[in-house]
Amino acid sequence: MESSELKRSKDSPNSDESAGLSSFPDEVLERVLSLLKSHRDRSFVSLVCKDWYNAERWSRTHVFIGNCYSVSPEIVARRFPNIRSVTLKGKPRFSDFNLVPQNWGADIHAWLVVFAAKYPFLEELRLKRMAISDESLALLAVAFPNFKALSLLSCDGFSTNGLAAIATNCKNLTELDIQENGIDDKGGSWLGCFPESFTSLEVLNFANLTSDINFDALERLVGRCKSMRVLKLNRSISLEQLQRLLVNAPQLAELGTGSFSQELTFRQYKELECTLSNRKNMHTLSGLWEAKGIYLPALYPACTNLTFLNLSYAALQSSELAKLLAHCPRLKRLWVLDTVQDKGLEAIGLNCPLLEELRVFPDDPFGEEIVHGVTEAGFVAVSYGCPRLHYVLYFCQQMTNAAVATVVQNCPDFTHFRLCIMNPGQPDYLTNEPMDEAFGAVVKTCTKLQRLSVSGLLTDLTFEYIGRYAKNLETLSVAFAGSSDWGMQCVLGGCPKLRKLEIRDCPFGNAALLSGLEKYESMRSLWMSACKVTMNGCRLLAREMPRLNVEVMKEDGSDDSQADKVYVYRSIAGPRRDAPPSVLTL
Amino acid sequence: MCMELQLGLALPSSPPIIPIKMFDLNSCGYEPREALGSNNLSRPLLKLGPYDIDINSSSSSSSSSSGGSKKRGFDGVLLFDENRIVPKTLPLLLWTNQPNDEDDPKDIEDNSSSANFKNDGEGLVGWPPVKTWRKKLRLQISNGGADNNRMVAAAENGCGGRASNSTYVKVKMEGVAIARKIDLSVHHSFETLTSTLMRMFGIPDENWNSFKLTYQDTEGDWLLAQDVPWRTFIRSLKCLKLIRSSG
Repeated sequence: MESSELKRSKDSPNSDESAGLSSFPDEVLERVLSLLKSHRDRSFVSLVCKDWYNAERWSRTHVFIGNCYSVSPEIVARRFPNIRSVTLKGKPRFSDFNLVPQNWGADIHAWLVVFAAKYPFLEELRLKRMAISDESLALLAVAFPNFKALSLLSCDGFSTNGLAAIATNCKNLTELDIQENGIDDKGGSWLGCFPESFTSLEVLNFANLTSDINFDALERLVGRCKSMRVLKLNRSISLEQLQRLLVNAPQLAELGTGSFSQELTFRQYKELECTLSNRKNMHTLSGLWEAKGIYLPALYPACTNLTFLNLSYAALQSSELAKLLAHCPRLKRLWVLDTVQDKGLEAIGLNCPLLEELRVFPDDPFGEEIVHGVTEAGFVAVSYGCPRLHYVLYFCQQMTNAAVATVVQNCPDFTHFRLCIMNPGQPDYLTNEPMDEAFGAVVKTCTKLQRLSVSGLLTDLTFEYIGRYAKNLETLSVAFAGSSDWGMQCVLGGCPKLRKLEIRDCPFGNAALLSGLEKYESMRSLWMSACKVTMNGCRLLAREMPRLNVEVMKEDGSDDSQADKVYVYRSIAGPRRDAPPSVLTL
Repeated sequence: MCMELQLGLALPSSPPIIPIKMFDLNSCGYEPREALGSNNLSRPLLKLGPYDIDINSSSSSSSSSSGGSKKRGFDGVLLFDENRIVPKTLPLLLWTNQPNDEDDPKDIEDNSSSANFKNDGEGLVGWPPVKTWRKKLRLQISNGGADNNRMVAAAENGCGGRASNSTYVKVKMEGVAIARKIDLSVHHSFETLTSTLMRMFGIPDENWNSFKLTYQDTEGDWLLAQDVPWRTFIRSLKCLKLIRSSG
């Protein structure tokens, strides 16, 4: 560009070479910045200078809040005036496993009240681990005339009555995604609350509801919502009903079937097979509750373009899985139950060269019978056949250091490595040594590792490795591991990108807790339960770091000086005022 | 540098990591109990610098928060036992003996979310880390017993499955091609059940005695309905069949 052209574009009389960016017209800057989607990019942009900060805040339409207590709704509304989409996460992740007391908090209502006043044009709300009542859903349903998308994942506190309010009132709804929630299922009549004139729904996921749904209403709804691309049914929907729905929804991209076990006549089976064939758009398949092996072939024609197959509700045997996978050449993500055993995993290695994500869930983790499940052999088999694997969640009964080392050698690109050896503190079953070298291999080889969950018998050496090598690690989950404070100190002293640290049942005490004083401000949160932290240690932390919220959950019958469960997180909103009596804010 | 933590948007500053190897509050004599367990393995010789905190005082003796300055420093080197002993395997019981464990195994069917610290039948709350709702689902699918007064049946080869919270059961009659379904929730005795079935298949009163009611249970065995108490029957039944009795 000619220097004369450059001068022409700066029309402000005050402009000179050093003013540079700040003379850039606001409207242009905002327009440019509005193209930025990543919230991390946006946060960097906002730190450049005051002009960019302002331009960014005016152009931002989506806000992501990873911890609802890190900020208050008023602060958010003040800074970002034009928000149309909000993602909020609430409770600590261990609440999924019953480790967080009831009524802990993370109630959406206060947020909704502020949003109703400041963001009347709100379109999307995505919540994870929040408490939401029917009253809140009713408010949501009427306060935002443009409301389009509601996604609730691992939330609780509401019933199907709340869903009825949404269905009745949200005239522009495109997405209703209800996943894995603690919902009080009072019946399926809520689905009939969508008015007959309502046709905008594109995403409907009610897979986690248990009661029978009003099928006639569902059939009519699916029939008139011509843009529907995601439909995930619950178990009450039979194969016959599925057939009827699918006939009216040829364009589905994601399908979650209902129960896959009804007895079908031959004709019905053929009809289903026909309806499922030629679904070139279908890339995700799930549901398959109680799938009977003999009906799975009806799915084969639908699997050609599948990239995500969720079989985690279908207790398949290895042969059934193998036959199914032969028809899924493009699979990138696969979730299975460990009923498929090592042979099933071998089949994965043979049939799914493009696989990037594998999750193997335990079918019967609390059963008293001998469980076979999957072993290190299956893990290794998958790694040989699937070099692109970068996300794994693996529940197993036994593992060896050598196997894990082989796996990461075959698949060095892991970003998420979550290994759960289900017996706490179990060593390498062949050598009887700790599993330190396994995770050492993971962090040394997988330089892109962002998330790690460790298990098995682990000494401080594991954490030395993690601190030294896991330079990109953001999330670490630890249970029944470590030998002393040194372990946790290594992690807090290394791992520059650490954001979330969750620890349970480990011998880490006050020294470990306090070694991370300054680090916690660069992290989202720390969870420590059943460790050796005391109340005094927590009080010290709270006193030293006023910008951290230090919360302790005491349990009945425990020693007064012990801090049973500790949750530490940074916040600009100060200590929260809605904590229940069981949560002490220090 | 602006230190405000706005929605986690602040650039992560490289925190000046304070090299506290071991800072044992217990050594200040405040804690009533000795530190447990593994600190024995590498106990440091603690040397506190001029900024050591007096935890007994109500106000902190250290400087209040100000920018990124270090809160405290430790003069000299914290001496540390370099000859760290590789710890022996800790007994598992050490970490299961926690206040949140309970000794009485609770009923696995009790999935109410109000029981927060309940034992999952294994002595460890929340372990293995399988999401609560997923556990509930598997229990509903595999459980042969009553769940909230509703029938739950396993999907096996005998009768085929049905939606697990439905109270309808398939009924076949010997010699009749079409199976029927009956809602069990409205019945509480064999008498009412049998009479309903007879009417359903159009069997006249006088012929009732020539039929017997059998059922297949969750283990796949066919049994005579009259041989078991009603409660056992309801809990283990998967499907029904009317057969002609001889004589």
